[in-house]
Amino acid sequence: MSTALFSEDQRDALQELTNIGMGQAGASVAAVLGEFVMLSVPRILVLKPNLIPPALARIVGSEKVTAVRQGFHGDLRGEAVVVYGVSHCRELADLMGYDDVIDEATEQELLLDVSNVLVGACLGGLAEQLNAEMGFSAPSLMATEAEVSSLLDVERMDSPCALFVEVNFSLEKRSFSCHLVMLLPEDQILVLRDAIDRFLASL
Amino acid sequence: MTELTHSELSGFIADRVEIGVFALDADFKLTLWNRFMATHSRRSAADVLGRNLFEVFPELPRSWLERKVRHVQALRNYAFTSWTQRPYLFRFDHNRPITGGVDAMRQNCTFLPVKNEAGEVVQVCVTVQDVTDNAIAHEELAASMAEIEREKAEQRKLIGELAQAQNQLLQSEKLASIGQLAAGVAHEINNPIGFVNSNLGTLASYVDELMVVLDAYTGAHEQMPEGLRSAIDAQIKGVDLDYLREDLVNLVTESRDGLDRVKKIVQDLKDFSRMGESEAAWADLHHCLDTTLNVVANEIKYKAEVVKQYGELPEIECVASQLNQVFMNLVVNAAQAIAEQGTITVSTGTEGEQVFVAVRDTGAGIPPEVLKRIFDPFYTTKPVGTGTGLGLSVSYSIIERHGGRIVVDSKVGEGTEFKIWLPLRYPAAKAVAS
Ligand SMILES: Nc1ncnc2c1ncn2[C@@H]1O[C@H](COP(=O)(O)OP(=O)(O)O)[C@@H](O)[C@H]1O
Ligand SMILES: [Mg+2]
Repeated sequence: MSTALFSEDQRDALQELTNIGMGQAGASVAAVLGEFVMLSVPRILVLKPNLIPPALARIVGSEKVTAVRQGFHGDLRGEAVVVYGVSHCRELADLMGYDDVIDEATEQELLLDVSNVLVGACLGGLAEQLNAEMGFSAPSLMATEAEVSSLLDVERMDSPCALFVEVNFSLEKRSFSCHLVMLLPEDQILVLRDAIDRFLASL
Repeated sequence: MTELTHSELSGFIADRVEIGVFALDADFKLTLWNRFMATHSRRSAADVLGRNLFEVFPELPRSWLERKVRHVQALRNYAFTSWTQRPYLFRFDHNRPITGGVDAMRQNCTFLPVKNEAGEVVQVCVTVQDVTDNAIAHEELAASMAEIEREKAEQRKLIGELAQAQNQLLQSEKLASIGQLAAGVAHEINNPIGFVNSNLGTLASYVDELMVVLDAYTGAHEQMPEGLRSAIDAQIKGVDLDYLREDLVNLVTESRDGLDRVKKIVQDLKDFSRMGESEAAWADLHHCLDTTLNVVANEIKYKAEVVKQYGELPEIECVASQLNQVFMNLVVNAAQAIAEQGTITVSTGTEGEQVFVAVRDTGAGIPPEVLKRIFDPFYTTKPVGTGTGLGLSVSYSIIERHGGRIVVDSKVGEGTEFKIWLPLRYPAAKAVAS
């Protein structure tokens, strides 16, 4: 299955590249999110789309989720989906230093902002390592307080595999996590694989 | 004709494109302000360039915007705003002042980092896109989607009610045809029963007379000649005459009892099946109750023991067939509320000028949230096929038409009592009389 799409070496390289990319972005992300926020090293899984809902369900549990999608284009083209557990979603305002109770639109804007920052850091960092140019379109809300199972219509997903990137924020006392899923169409997987191979060859 | 240089071309397009474009340096000083921005803000480039953005536009959400721009600088990455969360950044007039229905231009903004050769972010460029038309279309669409959803919900509810009404119709049609059948059968049976009954009466008196004659003969054959006597003795022994005489009388009595019971059942069926009848007449409620209890006896006998606590009741003016229907529903509801085994107590009496009939059960009781709705048409807590939710609402309207009232008293886990008060006279009749 997923091993057929990426060799062991390629997968290790991908994890490594994301680590470096994320690590570089990490400092600036922390600067944006607040000095007590730590961003953990993301864990990468290569999954078939139909395995994404169960993988999400395993992490999120039975909790309802809110999700943001954002397209990316350029040398690498695809869609990123950031998934938040509903309870974490509410903590976000807290995390971002909003003291007052905020209205729904502000909360959603915050969510879009944080998602944009994460996708930019994660994929932008990866692209930078691979020497790829990447642009982003505006993020949009994909679902609010939905069941995990209804989130991704895997039947309609034209992607033989997806990179499933788990990213965790943590705070001094609290921990907060969300999950980033990077979806690539088939031809883009080849592009990514070539880029990884080039990177491996340049070592 | 002189050729445009590439940068002249880019500059021209950035200035004239139908999208707002402006740029800020690290101190939020404006370094670019294109035609779109100038036209809509009514502030020319000459007027604003080199000045601090917040000084020129104090109405902007300063702390939020500063933060946004700092993010772009720090992360060297794009940022966005969408009209769905933040309708606009600059309050501009839009191109549909007449037909739009929105207060100001809806905007999607993109913040892009402007990098120097070394890849450092030296400025932040912001584009402001007019998405008013999209926003209006989106909102109209959302409104009609909501309308469609509402209509769909309404239709689902109506379909549910229709299904139940049809169920009820089938049920009442069934009841009506059973009633007709019963009336027909009762009528047909009445004739033979009539002559069997009178024949049986005659038979009984013939038997009595025969017995008298037989008594007179008893022992007389002793005086007959030997041959004849022993022949008669053998006959008497052969049929066991003593037993036969005794049993003959019993058989006749039992047959008459059985016949009486058949007559009673036929009468109940006839009483009960007077469904269509709507004329009020004087009736004995105890008779109505007994008839109803007989009709439903089979349905309830495994569930409940029926205890009758009848008081003194005068006849009242009512539509007996309709009251039968009310009593039947109360008794059937009571039996259905009993899970295993219980008691249904039917009591009657008078209070002031009114009579009352109460049906009490030792069933499950009715929780408060259900109690509020039991008289609503189609409200039922029973599975499809068992409940139609019409019993109590129909009962309610029947009692109302009789000028009476129906009240319920229930304790969850203990049981329920429905009590009906009725006036002695039927209201319509009163109206005619006066
Ligand atoms: N004696 C009772 N004990 C408990 N619940 C009752 C009783 N009588 C009526 N109810 C409640 O009131 C509801 C409505 O009764 P009714 O109008 O006769 O409709 P149905 O019997 O078809 O459900 C019932 O579904 C039941 O929940
Ligand atoms: Mg009922």
